[in-house]
Amino acid sequence: MKQAIDELLERYYEGETTLAEEKRLREFFQQETIPPHLQSHAEQFRYFAATREQQPSAAFTQQLATKLTRPEPTRLLGLTPWTLRLAASVALLLLGFVGGIFYNQHQNPVADAPLPSAVSPAAEMKKVLAFSSLSETSASERIQAVNQSFEMTQADQATTQLLINTLNFDANVNVRQAACQALTHFEHEPGVREALIQSLSIQTDPNVQITLIEMLVAIKEKRAVQEMQRLAKRPQVMDVVRQKAQEGINSLAQLS
Amino acid sequence: MDLQAFKQRILPVQGRLFRLAQLFLRNREEAEDALQDVLMRLWSNRQQLDAYHSVEALAVQMTKNLCLDRLKAHRRQPVTATDDYQNVLATDDSPYRQVELLDSASQMQRLIDALPDQQKLLIHLREVEDYSFDEIEQITGLTTNNIRVILSRTRQRLRDDYLKVNNNETGY
Repeated sequence: MKQAIDELLERYYEGETTLAEEKRLREFFQQETIPPHLQSHAEQFRYFAATREQQPSAAFTQQLATKLTRPEPTRLLGLTPWTLRLAASVALLLLGFVGGIFYNQHQNPVADAPLPSAVSPAAEMKKVLAFSSLSETSASERIQAVNQSFEMTQADQATTQLLINTLNFDANVNVRQAACQALTHFEHEPGVREALIQSLSIQTDPNVQITLIEMLVAIKEKRAVQEMQRLAKRPQVMDVVRQKAQEGINSLAQLS
Repeated sequence: MDLQAFKQRILPVQGRLFRLAQLFLRNREEAEDALQDVLMRLWSNRQQLDAYHSVEALAVQMTKNLCLDRLKAHRRQPVTATDDYQNVLATDDSPYRQVELLDSASQMQRLIDALPDQQKLLIHLREVEDYSFDEIEQITGLTTNNIRVILSRTRQRLRDDYLKVNNNETGY
Protein backbone atom coordinates (compact mmCIF):
# COMPACT_ATOMS: atom_id res chain seq x y z
CA MET A 1 0.00 0.00 0.00
CA LYS A 2 2.58 2.50 1.09
CA GLN A 3 4.77 1.29 -1.68
CA ALA A 4 1.95 1.94 -4.05
CA ILE A 5 1.46 5.46 -2.70
CA ASP A 6 5.16 6.21 -3.06
CA GLU A 7 5.07 5.05 -6.61
CA LEU A 8 1.90 6.99 -7.34
CA LEU A 9 3.40 10.13 -5.87
CA GLU A 10 6.42 9.79 -8.09
CA ARG A 11 4.24 9.57 -11.15
CA TYR A 12 2.06 12.37 -9.81
CA TYR A 13 5.00 14.77 -9.77
CA GLU A 14 5.85 13.68 -13.30
CA GLY A 15 2.33 14.53 -14.39
CA GLU A 16 1.72 10.91 -15.39
CA THR A 17 -1.09 9.94 -13.03
CA THR A 18 -4.66 9.43 -14.18
CA LEU A 19 -7.64 11.11 -12.56
CA ALA A 20 -8.50 7.88 -10.73
CA GLU A 21 -4.99 7.61 -9.33
CA GLU A 22 -5.04 11.20 -8.22
CA LYS A 23 -8.30 10.49 -6.47
CA ARG A 24 -6.63 7.65 -4.58
CA LEU A 25 -3.82 9.95 -3.53
CA ARG A 26 -6.27 12.60 -2.41
CA GLU A 27 -8.20 10.15 -0.34
CA PHE A 28 -5.03 8.77 1.16
CA PHE A 29 -3.91 12.17 2.35
CA GLN A 30 -7.30 12.93 3.82
CA GLN A 31 -6.59 10.33 6.50
CA GLU A 32 -5.79 11.35 10.02
CA THR A 33 -2.55 9.43 10.22
CA ILE A 34 -0.09 9.82 7.46
CA PRO A 35 3.34 8.24 7.50
CA PRO A 36 5.95 10.89 8.50
CA HIS A 37 7.94 10.59 5.32
CA LEU A 38 4.85 11.47 3.30
CA GLN A 39 3.77 14.32 5.52
CA SER A 40 5.32 16.97 3.34
CA HIS A 41 3.12 15.98 0.40
CA ALA A 42 -0.09 16.09 2.38
CA GLU A 43 -0.72 19.79 2.40
CA GLN A 44 -1.26 20.23 -1.35
CA PHE A 45 -3.76 17.42 -1.45
CA ARG A 46 -5.58 18.71 1.58
CA TYR A 47 -5.66 22.19 0.24
CA PHE A 48 -7.08 21.16 -3.10
CA ALA A 49 -9.54 18.80 -1.48
CA ALA A 50 -10.76 21.63 0.72
CA THR A 51 -11.04 23.97 -2.23
CA ARG A 52 -13.37 21.52 -3.93
CA GLU A 53 -15.97 22.22 -1.29
CA GLN A 54 -16.28 25.90 -2.08
CA GLN A 55 -19.63 26.91 -3.49
CA PRO A 56 -21.30 30.20 -4.31
CA SER A 57 -23.52 31.29 -1.46
CA ALA A 58 -27.18 30.38 -1.37
CA ALA A 59 -28.08 34.06 -1.53
CA PHE A 60 -26.16 34.29 -4.77
CA THR A 61 -27.82 31.34 -6.47
CA GLN A 62 -31.21 32.65 -5.41
CA GLN A 63 -30.43 36.08 -6.74
CA LEU A 64 -29.23 34.56 -9.97
CA ALA A 65 -32.37 32.48 -10.36
CA THR A 66 -34.56 35.55 -10.04
CA LYS A 67 -32.32 37.44 -12.43
CA LEU A 68 -32.64 34.69 -15.00
CA THR A 69 -36.40 34.41 -14.73
CA ARG A 70 -37.36 38.04 -14.18
CA PRO A 71 -35.85 39.70 -17.25
CA GLU A 72 -37.26 36.99 -19.46
CA PRO A 73 -40.35 38.87 -20.70
CA THR A 74 -38.43 42.06 -21.41
CA ARG A 75 -35.76 40.06 -23.14
CA LEU A 76 -38.36 38.42 -25.34
CA LEU A 77 -39.66 41.85 -26.20
CA GLY A 78 -36.14 42.96 -26.85
CA LEU A 79 -35.52 39.98 -29.06
CA THR A 80 -38.21 40.92 -31.55
CA PRO A 81 -38.27 44.66 -31.65
CA TRP A 82 -38.57 44.77 -35.40
CA THR A 83 -41.62 42.49 -35.50
CA LEU A 84 -43.28 44.61 -32.85
CA ARG A 85 -42.47 47.78 -34.71
CA LEU A 86 -43.75 46.25 -37.92
CA ALA A 87 -46.96 45.17 -36.25
CA ALA A 88 -47.40 48.60 -34.69
CA SER A 89 -46.89 50.38 -37.99
CA VAL A 90 -49.30 48.08 -39.80
CA ALA A 91 -51.85 48.59 -37.04
CA LEU A 92 -51.39 52.33 -37.26
CA LEU A 93 -51.81 52.23 -41.03
CA LEU A 94 -54.98 50.16 -40.74
CA LEU A 95 -56.27 52.51 -38.08
CA GLY A 96 -55.68 55.39 -40.44
CA PHE A 97 -57.56 53.68 -43.24
CA VAL A 98 -60.46 52.68 -41.02
CA GLY A 99 -60.56 56.18 -39.56
CA GLY A 100 -60.60 57.64 -43.04
CA ILE A 101 -63.43 55.37 -44.15
CA PHE A 102 -65.49 56.24 -41.09
CA TYR A 103 -64.80 59.92 -41.55
CA ASN A 104 -65.94 59.76 -45.16
CA GLN A 105 -69.06 57.86 -44.28
CA HIS A 106 -70.01 60.50 -41.76
CA GLN A 107 -69.12 63.34 -44.07
CA ASN A 108 -70.92 62.04 -47.13
CA PRO A 109 -74.54 62.51 -46.02
CA VAL A 110 -73.81 66.23 -45.62
CA ALA A 111 -71.70 66.63 -48.72
CA ASP A 112 -73.92 64.44 -50.83
CA ALA A 113 -77.17 66.04 -49.74
CA PRO A 114 -77.73 67.89 -53.04
CA LEU A 115 -76.57 64.87 -55.02
CA PRO A 116 -79.73 62.74 -54.92
CA SER A 117 -81.71 65.64 -56.39
CA ALA A 118 -78.98 66.12 -58.98
CA VAL A 119 -79.31 62.47 -59.85
CA SER A 120 -82.95 62.99 -60.71
CA PRO A 121 -83.50 66.72 -61.30
CA ALA A 122 -86.43 65.83 -63.46
CA ALA A 123 -88.26 64.29 -60.57
CA GLU A 124 -87.51 67.26 -58.35
CA MET A 125 -88.59 69.61 -61.08
CA LYS A 126 -91.79 67.74 -61.72
CA LYS A 127 -92.61 67.89 -58.09
CA VAL A 128 -92.20 71.65 -57.90
CA LEU A 129 -93.81 72.41 -61.24
CA ALA A 130 -96.72 70.06 -60.76
CA PHE A 131 -99.86 71.98 -61.55
CA SER A 132 -101.58 70.90 -58.39
CA SER A 133 -98.87 72.40 -56.19
CA LEU A 134 -98.93 75.72 -57.96
CA SER A 135 -100.37 77.48 -54.94
CA GLU A 136 -97.85 75.94 -52.56
CA THR A 137 -94.69 76.99 -54.38
CA SER A 138 -93.23 80.43 -54.85
CA ALA A 139 -92.32 81.85 -58.27
CA SER A 140 -88.61 81.84 -57.50
CA GLU A 141 -88.80 78.17 -56.50
CA ARG A 142 -90.45 77.34 -59.82
CA ILE A 143 -87.87 79.36 -61.74
CA GLN A 144 -85.17 77.44 -59.94
CA ALA A 145 -86.87 74.19 -60.85
CA VAL A 146 -87.11 75.25 -64.48
CA ASN A 147 -83.47 76.27 -64.50
CA GLN A 148 -82.53 72.82 -63.30
CA SER A 149 -83.44 71.61 -66.75
CA PHE A 150 -80.39 73.46 -68.05
CA GLU A 151 -78.25 70.88 -66.34
CA MET A 152 -79.98 68.08 -68.16
CA THR A 153 -78.50 67.07 -71.47
CA GLN A 154 -81.49 65.07 -72.50
CA ALA A 155 -85.10 65.42 -71.55
CA ASP A 156 -87.87 62.91 -71.84
CA GLN A 157 -91.39 63.53 -73.07
CA ALA A 158 -92.65 64.16 -69.59
CA THR A 159 -90.12 66.88 -68.89
CA THR A 160 -90.74 68.79 -72.09
CA GLN A 161 -94.49 68.48 -71.59
CA LEU A 162 -94.08 69.83 -68.09
CA LEU A 163 -92.07 72.78 -69.37
CA ILE A 164 -94.62 73.46 -72.08
CA ASN A 165 -97.40 73.44 -69.52
CA THR A 166 -95.39 75.83 -67.38
CA LEU A 167 -94.80 78.05 -70.37
CA ASN A 168 -98.47 78.22 -71.22
CA PHE A 169 -100.19 78.16 -67.89
CA ASP A 170 -97.89 79.36 -65.12
CA ALA A 171 -99.26 82.31 -63.23
CA ASN A 172 -95.97 84.14 -63.11
CA VAL A 173 -94.55 85.89 -66.15
CA ASN A 174 -90.98 85.31 -65.12
CA VAL A 175 -91.54 81.60 -64.71
CA ARG A 176 -93.09 81.41 -68.16
CA GLN A 177 -90.13 83.29 -69.58
CA ALA A 178 -87.72 80.91 -67.88
CA ALA A 179 -89.69 77.96 -69.21
CA CYS A 180 -89.50 79.43 -72.69
CA GLN A 181 -85.75 79.73 -72.48
CA ALA A 182 -85.48 76.25 -71.05
CA LEU A 183 -87.55 74.80 -73.87
CA THR A 184 -85.29 76.26 -76.56
CA HIS A 185 -82.63 74.03 -75.03
CA PHE A 186 -84.67 71.05 -76.07
CA GLU A 187 -85.52 72.31 -79.53
CA HIS A 188 -84.73 68.90 -80.99
CA GLU A 189 -87.14 67.08 -78.72
CA PRO A 190 -90.35 66.11 -80.46
CA GLY A 191 -93.19 68.56 -80.02
CA VAL A 192 -91.12 71.34 -78.53
CA ARG A 193 -90.94 73.55 -81.63
CA GLU A 194 -94.63 73.10 -82.29
CA ALA A 195 -95.41 73.96 -78.70
CA LEU A 196 -93.37 77.17 -78.94
CA ILE A 197 -95.19 78.24 -82.13
CA GLN A 198 -98.52 77.43 -80.57
CA SER A 199 -97.59 79.30 -77.43
CA LEU A 200 -97.11 82.47 -79.48
CA SER A 201 -100.85 82.64 -79.97
CA ILE A 202 -101.59 81.83 -76.37
CA GLN A 203 -99.26 84.28 -74.63
CA THR A 204 -100.58 87.73 -73.86
CA ASP A 205 -97.69 89.20 -71.89
CA PRO A 206 -95.44 91.31 -74.14
CA ASN A 207 -92.28 90.19 -72.34
CA VAL A 208 -93.02 86.56 -72.98
CA GLN A 209 -94.14 87.28 -76.51
CA ILE A 210 -90.87 89.07 -77.28
CA THR A 211 -88.86 86.30 -75.71
CA LEU A 212 -90.78 83.72 -77.75
CA ILE A 213 -90.14 85.59 -80.98
CA GLU A 214 -86.45 85.92 -80.20
CA MET A 215 -86.20 82.27 -79.36
CA LEU A 216 -88.04 81.15 -82.47
CA VAL A 217 -85.74 83.30 -84.60
CA ALA A 218 -82.74 81.89 -82.76
CA ILE A 219 -83.79 78.30 -83.51
CA LYS A 220 -84.67 79.35 -87.07
CA GLU A 221 -88.21 78.02 -86.91
CA LYS A 222 -89.80 79.13 -90.21
CA ARG A 223 -93.14 77.59 -89.41
CA ALA A 224 -93.56 80.39 -86.84
CA VAL A 225 -93.78 83.03 -89.59
CA GLN A 226 -97.53 82.54 -89.96
CA GLU A 227 -98.12 82.97 -86.24
CA MET A 228 -95.89 86.02 -86.16
CA GLN A 229 -97.76 87.64 -89.07
CA ARG A 230 -101.00 87.08 -87.21
CA LEU A 231 -99.42 88.60 -84.08
CA ALA A 232 -98.17 91.62 -86.05
CA LYS A 233 -101.65 92.29 -87.40
CA ARG A 234 -103.43 91.92 -84.09
CA PRO A 235 -104.39 95.41 -82.85
CA GLN A 236 -104.45 94.70 -79.14
CA VAL A 237 -100.84 93.57 -79.13
CA MET A 238 -98.34 96.19 -78.05
CA ASP A 239 -96.47 98.11 -80.72
CA VAL A 240 -93.12 96.87 -79.49
CA VAL A 241 -94.26 93.28 -79.86
CA ARG A 242 -95.67 93.85 -83.29
CA GLN A 243 -92.41 95.50 -84.32
CA LYS A 244 -90.48 92.55 -82.88
CA ALA A 245 -92.74 90.12 -84.74
CA GLN A 246 -92.13 91.98 -87.97
CA GLU A 247 -88.39 91.83 -87.37
CA GLY A 248 -88.65 88.12 -86.70
CA ILE A 249 -90.59 87.55 -89.92
CA ASN A 250 -87.98 89.47 -91.84
CA SER A 251 -85.01 87.67 -90.37
CA LEU A 252 -86.69 84.27 -90.86
CA ALA A 253 -87.50 85.22 -94.47
CA GLN A 254 -83.90 86.15 -95.08
CA LEU A 255 -82.83 82.67 -94.07
CA SER A 256 -84.59 81.04 -96.97
CA MET B 1 -31.15 27.56 -25.82
CA ASP B 2 -34.09 28.31 -23.54
CA LEU B 3 -34.15 28.81 -19.79
CA GLN B 4 -34.61 25.08 -19.20
CA ALA B 5 -31.60 24.09 -21.27
CA PHE B 6 -29.59 26.90 -19.78
CA LYS B 7 -30.37 25.69 -16.28
CA GLN B 8 -29.47 22.15 -17.22
CA ARG B 9 -26.24 22.88 -19.00
CA ILE B 10 -24.79 26.01 -17.45
CA LEU B 11 -25.98 26.23 -13.88
CA PRO B 12 -24.37 22.92 -12.77
CA VAL B 13 -21.05 24.43 -13.80
CA GLN B 14 -21.45 27.54 -11.68
CA GLY B 15 -19.68 25.92 -8.70
CA ARG B 16 -16.66 25.31 -10.88
CA LEU B 17 -16.74 28.80 -12.30
CA PHE B 18 -17.08 30.22 -8.82
CA ARG B 19 -14.03 28.31 -7.55
CA LEU B 20 -12.08 29.43 -10.59
CA ALA B 21 -13.03 33.04 -9.92
CA GLN B 22 -12.02 32.54 -6.28
CA LEU B 23 -8.67 31.22 -7.41
CA PHE B 24 -7.91 34.48 -9.14
CA LEU B 25 -9.82 37.05 -7.12
CA ARG B 26 -9.52 35.51 -3.65
CA ASN B 27 -12.64 37.25 -2.46
CA ARG B 28 -16.08 35.78 -2.16
CA GLU B 29 -18.07 38.84 -3.18
CA GLU B 30 -15.87 39.64 -6.12
CA ALA B 31 -15.88 36.04 -7.25
CA GLU B 32 -19.67 35.92 -7.08
CA ASP B 33 -19.85 39.17 -8.96
CA ALA B 34 -17.57 37.85 -11.68
CA LEU B 35 -19.54 34.61 -11.82
CA GLN B 36 -22.79 36.47 -12.21
CA ASP B 37 -21.25 38.58 -14.93
CA VAL B 38 -20.16 35.48 -16.83
CA LEU B 39 -23.51 33.76 -16.41
CA MET B 40 -25.48 36.79 -17.54
CA ARG B 41 -23.24 37.15 -20.56
CA LEU B 42 -23.81 33.52 -21.42
CA TRP B 43 -27.52 33.99 -20.89
CA SER B 44 -27.79 37.00 -23.13
CA ASN B 45 -25.81 35.17 -25.81
CA ARG B 46 -27.66 31.92 -25.36
CA GLN B 47 -28.77 31.87 -28.99
CA GLN B 48 -25.18 31.38 -30.12
CA LEU B 49 -24.19 28.88 -27.45
CA ASP B 50 -25.30 25.86 -29.45
CA ALA B 51 -22.59 26.62 -31.97
CA TYR B 52 -19.90 25.92 -29.38
CA HIS B 53 -18.45 22.48 -29.06
CA SER B 54 -18.26 22.77 -25.30
CA VAL B 55 -20.17 25.45 -23.49
CA GLU B 56 -18.39 24.56 -20.27
CA ALA B 57 -14.97 25.17 -21.80
CA LEU B 58 -16.28 28.48 -23.09
CA ALA B 59 -17.59 29.41 -19.67
CA VAL B 60 -14.29 28.54 -18.02
CA GLN B 61 -12.39 30.60 -20.56
CA MET B 62 -14.73 33.52 -20.07
CA THR B 63 -14.39 33.35 -16.30
CA LYS B 64 -10.61 33.20 -16.46
CA ASN B 65 -10.40 36.13 -18.85
CA LEU B 66 -12.88 38.18 -16.91
CA CYS B 67 -11.02 37.63 -13.65
CA LEU B 68 -7.66 38.48 -15.17
CA ASP B 69 -9.17 41.59 -16.74
CA ARG B 70 -10.58 42.69 -13.44
CA LEU B 71 -7.29 42.13 -11.65
CA LYS B 72 -5.54 44.15 -14.32
CA ALA B 73 -8.14 46.91 -14.19
CA HIS B 74 -7.99 47.22 -10.43
CA ARG B 75 -4.19 47.12 -10.48
CA ARG B 76 -3.95 45.54 -7.13
CA GLN B 77 -3.16 42.25 -5.51
CA PRO B 78 -6.00 39.89 -4.88
CA VAL B 79 -7.56 40.32 -1.49
CA THR B 80 -6.84 37.38 0.75
CA ALA B 81 -9.94 36.15 2.42
CA THR B 82 -9.03 33.19 4.54
CA ASP B 83 -12.39 33.06 6.26
CA ASP B 84 -13.65 30.68 3.61
CA TYR B 85 -11.33 28.05 4.92
CA GLN B 86 -12.71 28.37 8.40
CA ASN B 87 -16.05 27.14 7.10
CA VAL B 88 -14.53 24.45 5.00
CA LEU B 89 -12.23 23.08 7.62
CA ALA B 90 -14.70 23.20 10.45
CA THR B 91 -14.63 19.55 11.38
CA ASP B 92 -14.36 17.80 14.66
CA ASP B 93 -10.66 18.48 14.81
CA SER B 94 -9.31 20.10 17.93
CA PRO B 95 -9.05 23.91 17.87
CA TYR B 96 -5.30 23.63 17.87
CA ARG B 97 -5.32 21.41 14.84
CA GLN B 98 -7.85 23.67 13.17
CA VAL B 99 -5.54 26.64 13.60
CA GLU B 100 -2.68 24.56 12.32
CA LEU B 101 -4.70 23.46 9.30
CA LEU B 102 -5.90 26.97 8.68
CA ASP B 103 -2.36 28.18 8.87
CA SER B 104 -1.01 25.66 6.44
CA ALA B 105 -4.02 26.19 4.18
CA SER B 106 -3.40 29.91 3.96
CA GLN B 107 0.26 29.15 3.43
CA MET B 108 -0.62 26.93 0.53
CA GLN B 109 -2.96 29.59 -0.80
CA ARG B 110 -0.19 32.18 -0.75
CA LEU B 111 2.08 29.77 -2.59
CA ILE B 112 -0.54 29.23 -5.27
CA ASP B 113 -1.17 32.96 -5.56
CA ALA B 114 2.51 33.38 -6.28
CA LEU B 115 2.30 31.06 -9.27
CA PRO B 116 2.10 32.42 -12.83
CA ASP B 117 -1.46 32.59 -14.13
CA GLN B 118 -1.07 29.65 -16.46
CA GLN B 119 0.33 27.30 -13.83
CA LYS B 120 -2.27 28.48 -11.38
CA LEU B 121 -5.05 27.74 -13.86
CA LEU B 122 -3.73 24.34 -14.91
CA ILE B 123 -3.20 22.97 -11.45
CA HIS B 124 -6.56 24.27 -10.34
CA LEU B 125 -8.39 22.69 -13.26
CA ARG B 126 -6.66 19.38 -12.66
CA GLU B 127 -6.54 19.11 -8.88
CA VAL B 128 -9.77 20.80 -7.93
CA GLU B 129 -12.04 20.24 -10.88
CA ASP B 130 -10.77 16.85 -12.08
CA TYR B 131 -10.52 17.96 -15.69
CA SER B 132 -9.00 15.44 -18.07
CA PHE B 133 -6.08 16.46 -20.28
CA ASP B 134 -8.46 16.64 -23.23
CA GLU B 135 -10.71 19.07 -21.42
CA ILE B 136 -7.79 21.22 -20.30
CA GLU B 137 -6.59 21.19 -23.89
CA GLN B 138 -9.96 22.52 -25.01
CA ILE B 139 -9.90 25.31 -22.48
CA THR B 140 -6.29 26.43 -22.74
CA GLY B 141 -5.38 25.38 -26.27
CA LEU B 142 -2.19 23.76 -25.00
CA THR B 143 -1.10 20.32 -26.19
CA THR B 144 -1.43 17.38 -23.83
CA ASN B 145 2.34 17.12 -23.53
CA ASN B 146 2.61 20.76 -22.64
CA ILE B 147 -0.08 20.38 -20.04
CA ARG B 148 1.68 17.37 -18.56
CA VAL B 149 4.97 19.23 -18.30
CA ILE B 150 3.46 22.35 -16.78
CA LEU B 151 1.42 20.30 -14.35
CA SER B 152 4.45 18.30 -13.29
CA ARG B 153 6.51 21.44 -12.75
CA THR B 154 3.78 23.19 -10.82
CA ARG B 155 3.23 20.22 -8.51
CA GLN B 156 6.92 20.00 -7.76
CA ARG B 157 7.26 23.72 -7.30
CA LEU B 158 4.35 23.85 -4.88
CA ARG B 159 5.89 21.12 -2.74
CA ASP B 160 9.34 22.66 -2.87
CA ASP B 161 8.00 26.09 -1.95
CA TYR B 162 5.97 24.59 0.84
CA LEU B 163 8.97 22.77 2.24
CA LYS B 164 11.08 25.89 1.94
CA VAL B 165 8.58 28.03 3.84
CA ASN B 166 8.07 25.47 6.57
CA ASN B 167 11.75 24.71 7.01
CA ASN B 168 12.41 28.41 7.40
CA GLU B 169 9.60 28.82 9.85
CA THR B 170 10.38 25.79 11.92
CA GLY B 171 14.07 26.45 11.69
CA TYR B 172 15.15 23.19 10.11
